[in-house]
Amino acid sequence: MGFLADIAQAVEKYNHGVEQQVKQVRGDAELGKQILAKWRQARAAVKTTRTPTGLELPRVALPNIDEPGEIARYLGEEGLPGEFPYLSSAYREMYLERDHHEGNGNSKAEEPMRLFAGLGLAEDTNKRFHYLTKHQKSVRLSTAFDGPTLYGLDSDDDGLLGKVGEGGVAIDTVDDMKRLYDGFDITADTSSVSMTINGPAPTILAMYVAAAKHRFGDGCVPKLRGTIQADVLKEVQAQNECLFGVEPSLRFLGDMVEYVTEKMPRFYPVSISGYHIAEAGSTPVQQAAYTLSNGFVYVDLWKHRGMNVDKFGPRLSFFFDSGLDIEYMALARVSRKIWAIGMRDCFAAGPKAQLFKLHTQTSGRSLIAAEFKNNLTRTAVELMLAYLNATNSCHSNSADEPFTTPGEEYVTLAAHAQNIILEESGLFKHMMNPLAGSPGMKAVERAVEAAILAEFREIDRLGGVLSAVEQRYQRAQIQQAAHRLETQIYDGTRPIIGLNRYASTNGHAEMDLVRTARQKQLFQVKRLKAWKKKHGKLAGRKLDELSGVVDKGGNVFAKLIDCVEHCSLGQITHRLREVVGPFRPVV
Amino acid sequence: MPKDESILRVLTAVPICDGHDSAINTINLEFIRNGIEVIYLGYHRSVRDIVRAAVQEDVRAVGISSYNGGHNEFFSQVARELHKEVGGEITVFGGGGGTITHDDERIMRRAGVDKIFFAGTPLEAIVRYVKQLRAPARGSRKRTAADSRGGKRSDRALSMALRNAKSVKVATRASAPTIGITGPGGAGKTTLIDELVLRFLQRHPTSRIAILSHDPSIASHGALLGDRATMIHSQDDRVFMRSLATRGRAGGLSPQTEPMLAAMKQMGFDLIILETVGTGQEAMPFAGGLVDTSLFVMSPEYGSKLQLQKIAMLDIADLVVVNKGDLAGAPRAAAEVTERLTMNHKNQKVYTTQAKQHRNVGVDRLYDTVLGSIRQGEPPRLQVTRKTRTSAK
Ligand code: B12
Ligand SMILES: Nc1nc2c(ncn2[C@@H]2O[C@H](COP(=O)(O)OP(=O)(O)OP(=O)(O)O)[C@@H](O)[C@H]2O)c(=O)[nH]1
Ligand SMILES: [Mg+2]
Repeated sequence: MGFLADIAQAVEKYNHGVEQQVKQVRGDAELGKQILAKWRQARAAVKTTRTPTGLELPRVALPNIDEPGEIARYLGEEGLPGEFPYLSSAYREMYLERDHHEGNGNSKAEEPMRLFAGLGLAEDTNKRFHYLTKHQKSVRLSTAFDGPTLYGLDSDDDGLLGKVGEGGVAIDTVDDMKRLYDGFDITADTSSVSMTINGPAPTILAMYVAAAKHRFGDGCVPKLRGTIQADVLKEVQAQNECLFGVEPSLRFLGDMVEYVTEKMPRFYPVSISGYHIAEAGSTPVQQAAYTLSNGFVYVDLWKHRGMNVDKFGPRLSFFFDSGLDIEYMALARVSRKIWAIGMRDCFAAGPKAQLFKLHTQTSGRSLIAAEFKNNLTRTAVELMLAYLNATNSCHSNSADEPFTTPGEEYVTLAAHAQNIILEESGLFKHMMNPLAGSPGMKAVERAVEAAILAEFREIDRLGGVLSAVEQRYQRAQIQQAAHRLETQIYDGTRPIIGLNRYASTNGHAEMDLVRTARQKQLFQVKRLKAWKKKHGKLAGRKLDELSGVVDKGGNVFAKLIDCVEHCSLGQITHRLREVVGPFRPVV
Repeated sequence: MPKDESILRVLTAVPICDGHDSAINTINLEFIRNGIEVIYLGYHRSVRDIVRAAVQEDVRAVGISSYNGGHNEFFSQVARELHKEVGGEITVFGGGGGTITHDDERIMRRAGVDKIFFAGTPLEAIVRYVKQLRAPARGSRKRTAADSRGGKRSDRALSMALRNAKSVKVATRASAPTIGITGPGGAGKTTLIDELVLRFLQRHPTSRIAILSHDPSIASHGALLGDRATMIHSQDDRVFMRSLATRGRAGGLSPQTEPMLAAMKQMGFDLIILETVGTGQEAMPFAGGLVDTSLFVMSPEYGSKLQLQKIAMLDIADLVVVNKGDLAGAPRAAAEVTERLTMNHKNQKVYTTQAKQHRNVGVDRLYDTVLGSIRQGEPPRLQVTRKTRTSAK
C-alpha cells in the first residue's frame, strides 16, 4: 500500500474518530461539560459587527447548538474558521472588513484579487500592469507568458513568427524581465508577483531574481514575494508544457524549491494546480483528486531529498478552477480538510504545513462565444462559489475569454465583478461561514470527499501517481471526461444558454482583438539577436558550467541565476535538453 | 470491416508552442468512433513535422487545432507546403474555438485552407465534413515538383509506391535489413525504437530509415495511431514512417503489412524497423521470414516464472529485451528470462534496458549488438539475424 491509500485511510479514520468522540462526549458527563465549556468560550470570542442598515451580526457565524455530541461533530467535521481540519477556511476572518473599532475604516489588509495578464512585449505588459493596479492599494501582479516562453524557446527560433507575444508576454532575457516589472517596487511588503510558468520555471525565476538584483541590489532577494507555478506533474497530465523527462524536471523543481525555501522566505516556489486539469475537461472530483495526489507526491519526494516538511510545507500553495457544476460548492473546502489530515497524519507536518492555501480562477472553458455577454453572469456565479469556498485569492475571467487576450473593457468588468461581490454585496464582508453547515453543502461535501478518496485508492492500486502517469491513467480519464462533456453539450443534455437553449439567430460577435503586430514581433527578434551577440563570448562558457552542475548533481537553480546574465531562455533550454534529454509526450 | 480503399485516414495535430489538446482529443475520439483512422501527431508540432507526416502517412486530410494565436501564419504555411508536395491532394481544415475569426478564415482560405470550424460547432458536423472527403483514387495522381529531391525518391513518391503495393512482389534488388519488434502492450517498444533511431541517425549522417508501426483498430473500425507523438527523434527528414491499423487482423499486424513491407524493402532504405501491436503470450507475428532480426521487448512485470514458459516469442526471438530496468523487479526478471532462454539452446541474447532514460547504456549496448559498432560512413548492417544466430550455434 502506498501513501495515497494511507491518506485515504487516515481521512476515514479521522471521520470515524469524530463519530467516536460524539459518542464519548454524549456518554461521559464530564467530557460533555468540558466540550460545552470550550464551545461557550469559542462563541463568546466571536465579535459582532453592524451592517450599513444597522443590523447586528456575529463576525463568525457558528451553529446554534448546545448538545455536546453535536458540538463535537461540528468541531471535528468542520472546525472553526482557521482551525483544523480547516474545512471552513484556512484563516479566521478572510475577506471580512476590518473591525471598525480597530480604527482602519473600511479597508482590508489585502485584496484577494489577482488578475492574470500578459500581452505583446515586456513593455506592453508592464503598461497593462500599471493600468490594473491603478486603484489597488497593494501591487499584486500575475504574469501570463506567450507560447514560445512557455515552451522554453527564444523569440528568434525557427517557425515561431506569429506566436511571439500572443496569449502572454514574450520573455527571452533578463533584460526583458527588467522591463516587465519596471516602475514597481517588487521588494515592498505589499508587493507580490506571480508567474504562470512551468517547464522553464527555474530559468524564468532565475531571471526574476537576477533582474531584481540589478534593480535593488543583492540584498533584495529575501524580500521578494510572490508565487511561481512550476507544477510539472500537471503539465504531464493536462497542460502539456513539460520540457524535459519527468525525472529531470522533478529534480530541477526540487533544486528550485530547496533554494527558495532557504533564501527567499516570502516566495511560494510551486503552485499545485488543478485548474489546467479541470480546463482540459476533467470532472471536479478528478481535479481535486489528481491535484491533491500530485501535492502529496511532491511532499514525499522532498522529504526523501532530506528537506524539512515544516520548512517547505508552508511554502506550498494550490490553484483550483471554479466552474458551474455543483461540486464546486465544496470542492476546495473538502480539499483543505484532506490536505490537512494527510499532512498531519501521514507526513507528520505541523500546523503551518497543514494549511491548503488556495488561489482560484473562474472557469475559462465555461465561457463560450455564442451570446458571449452571458459570460459575465457565468463568471459572477463562479466567483460566488469560489468565495463560498473561502479561496485566499482569485482571478475572474473576462467575458471576451473565448476570443482573445482580454481587452481593457472586459478586464475592468471582470475585476469589478469581484469588487461587487466582496465590497458592494454584504454576503462576504460582514461574516464568515454564510452558508457553511447547510444540509446541501454537507451533502456535497460528503459525496465529494468519498469520490476523491476512491480516486486516491485507484491511483494507489496503479502503483502511485508517477506510475499511473506512466500508464496514462490521468490523461485517459481526463480525455474521457472531456469527450463526455462535449457530447453532453451537443446532444443538449447539458444546457448551455445561448448555445443549445434560448439561442438567438444573431450572427457572430465583432470583437476587438488583442494581437501582437508582426512589426512588434520582429522588433523582439531583432532586440534578442543583438543581446545574444553582445553576450556571445560568455554564453558558451556559462552553458558549459551549467552542464557541469547538472552532471555532478549540484543545485541547478543557483547556477541558473548566474547563467541568465549571459544566456537567453532558449539557449538554456536547449543545453539542458542536450544533457538530460527532451520530454517524450504521452498523448 | 469496410474495404481498405474506403477507410479514411486523417492526420491531426496542434501547432508549435501550443498545448491546447482538449478539443483535438475529443475530435480524435469522435473520428475513430465513426470509422476514421486518425494519425495523431500530438501538440507543439512544427509545420515541417505536420507536412512530412501527412505526406508519409498518405492521409486524405490534415486537421489542425490552434489556440495560442498565430493561426493565420501557421495554417497558411501548412497549406502552402502541402501544396508544394502533393498539389492539393491533401485537404487542410481545423478550428480553434473563438480565437479564429471569420476574417481569419478568409485569409487562410486564400492560402489554400479548406475549412475552419468555429466555436460551437456540433461534433457531428465535423465528422460529416470529414466523411464526405472521399479517399483518393488509387493509382491516379498528379506529379509535383517535390517528387524527386537530389536523386533520392521523395516521401511523396514513396507514399505513392506504397499506395499501389497490393500484393507481395518478387524482390528485384537487395532487400533492406529489417528488424521486427514485438512484445506485450506497454513494454516500451515504441520508446525503445525511437531511442534506437536516435542513435542510428547520429552514427549514420546520410542513411535513411523506415518505420512501419502498428496500432489496434477499435471495434467500430476506426483507429488512433499515436506513435508519432511519442517518437520525437523519428520525426526527421531521414526517417520515413508509416502507421498502420490492424483493421480486424489478429496477431499484431495489419492486412497491409506484408505488401507494404515488401515494397519498403525495395525502396533503398538502409534499415527498416517494424513494431507490432502489443501482443499476447501465444503471438508469433514474424512467421515466414518477414524480418531479419526479431526482438522481443518485455517489462519485468510479467507475473510468475510460470508465465514465462507460456510466451511463444521467447522460443524464437533473436534477442530479448527486458525493458524498464529501473523497476525493482528488473534484475530478477533478467535472470529468469536468461534461465528460460538457456533451455532453448538457441544462442539467444538478453538485454536489460531503460528506454525512457536519456543516453541509457543498456540501449547503447543493445544498439551495438543489433547494428554493430560500425564506423561512420559505412552502411549499417545487422549483426544479429536469424541466419547469424543459427550458424553460430
Ligand atoms: C481549455 C483552455 C486551456 C486549458 C487547456 C487544456 C488542454 N489540454 O487543452 C489550459 C488551462 C491548460 C490553458 C492554458 C493556456 N491557455 Co487556454 N484556453 C482554454 C479555453 C478556456 C477553452 C479551449 C477549449 O479547449 N475549449 C473546448 C473546445 C472543445 O471547444 P471550442 O474551443 O469551442 O472548439 C470547437 C471548435 O472550434 C472546433 N475545433 C477546435 N479545434 C478543432 C480542430 C479541428 C481539426 C476541427 C475539425 C475542429 C476544431 O471543435 C470544437 C467543438 O465544436 C480557451 C478560452 C475559451 N473559452 O475558448 C482558452 C484560450 C484558448 N487560452 C489562452 C491562453 C493564452 C492560454 C495560455 C497561453 C495562458 C498562459 N499564458 O499561460 C496557456 C497555454 C497552454 C499551452 N500549453 O499552450 C487564450 C488564447 C488567446 C489568444 N490566442 O489570443 C484563450 C482564448 C483564453 C484567453 N482569452 O486568454 N487553456
Ligand atoms: N519505468 C519505465 N517506463 C518506461 C521505460 N520505457 C518506456 N516506459 C514507459 O512505458 C510506457 C509505454 O511505453 P511505449 O513505448 O509506448 O510502450 P509500447 O510497448 O510501445 O506500448 P504499445 O505499443 O501500446 O504496446 C510509457 O509511459 C513509457 O514512458 C523504462 O525504461 N522504464
Ligand atoms: Mg507502441
